Amino acid sequence: MIPTGEATLGPFFPPRYVDAGANDLTQCGGRKAGGEAIEIVGCVRQEDGAPLDNLLLEIWQADANGIYRHRADPRHREADADFLGWGRAATDKAGNYAFRSVRPGAPAGRARHVNFMVMFSGLMRILKTTMFFPGEQANGKDPVYQAVPEARRALLVAREEAPGRYRFDLKLRGEHETPFFDD
Amino acid sequence: MDYRIAPRDERTQPARIVPGYPQTPWRNPREPLVRRAPTLSELTGPAGVEKRVQLLGGDIAGRGETQAIGQLMHLRVRVVDEDGAPVGGAVVEIWQCNAAGRYIHPNDDEHAPVDRNFYGAARLVTDESGAFTLRTVKPGAYPVPTKDGWWRPPHIHFSLFGKVWLSRLVTQMYFPGEPLNPQDRILNAVPDAAARERLIARLVPPAGEPHGALVFEHQIVLRGSQATPVQP
Repeated sequence: MIPTGEATLGPFFPPRYVDAGANDLTQCGGRKAGGEAIEIVGCVRQEDGAPLDNLLLEIWQADANGIYRHRADPRHREADADFLGWGRAATDKAGNYAFRSVRPGAPAGRARHVNFMVMFSGLMRILKTTMFFPGEQANGKDPVYQAVPEARRALLVAREEAPGRYRFDLKLRGEHETPFFDD
Repeated sequence: MDYRIAPRDERTQPARIVPGYPQTPWRNPREPLVRRAPTLSELTGPAGVEKRVQLLGGDIAGRGETQAIGQLMHLRVRVVDEDGAPVGGAVVEIWQCNAAGRYIHPNDDEHAPVDRNFYGAARLVTDESGAFTLRTVKPGAYPVPTKDGWWRPPHIHFSLFGKVWLSRLVTQMYFPGEPLNPQDRILNAVPDAAARERLIARLVPPAGEPHGALVFEHQIVLRGSQATPVQP
């Protein structure tokens, strides 16, 4: 069967769908996830540099040991039961978002990374990208990182602006445009 | 890996930049999208999203016993993957405007009245057969602030979590026979006529639904397949 056509999120996604705490991956059901807590913050802008308000972001990542809590992962039985791996945040008027999470371990064959989805009014399809961590030797061997033209790869690497706080700004179009993936 | 995500036929998906939709040229990438072969990271995905978000159920037709203004309708939806296999246990988020075309949202202007018995947001989980029923009132049409005659036809928004990350879908469903359908810039951003047709629900005879409710059926196909590719 042919997958249903996508459509824009539009401007009226209910604010209550960004549940309080949905951007905090460090706990699940009141229990603390294993690993080192980190923050992921950033600003999302469109072509003219204007920050985008009320844009929806979702992330998906492995736990601190590089295991996905999903049955397709051969190691999923060892996954951290207190780590859901998914979170949602909306940008504020200044275009800023923030997640709390744990530093993902490197999954087999991959560098440590966090998957992002961007949904917004005027985006006819979900935009998908991947955040990598700075100073990781494994980045250069990561197949997703390598799929990006060399000149643009640095745009996928977050900046550690304070210990444990990673800045991953997103530019949807234009100068310093974030690389997005087509799967 | 037992679940596959294959590239889609571009004609079945919307153009990214849509003439007459002024935000689209500012926000959609200029650079070509990067093709990648999915890895385990994209072929796994969140399970148990319902633990992180508040479910609201699928009955939004009124407040308590008081029905919202509009035509009562039941929408039977089935969520399947590319094999036609039901996607059970999937979180579905639904939002729509009221019968007058007004959303409960700070972004909506005051072109149409609020109905105090209608909020317009449902959040639920599909059953084992991938099905759910939405009880609501039929949404109205509304003018888009482009002020050039573009009206959105009646439609309902859906956000769905499938079996894996790349199955995630945000879409809109339309109603059959609406005069605004052929000129809607979002519906018609999908080039393929058959793909557009699949975004439109079907009106069906009631089967056990209460007298006085319109009944519609709709199918949503999420990306992903177990099927082994056919050997040449």
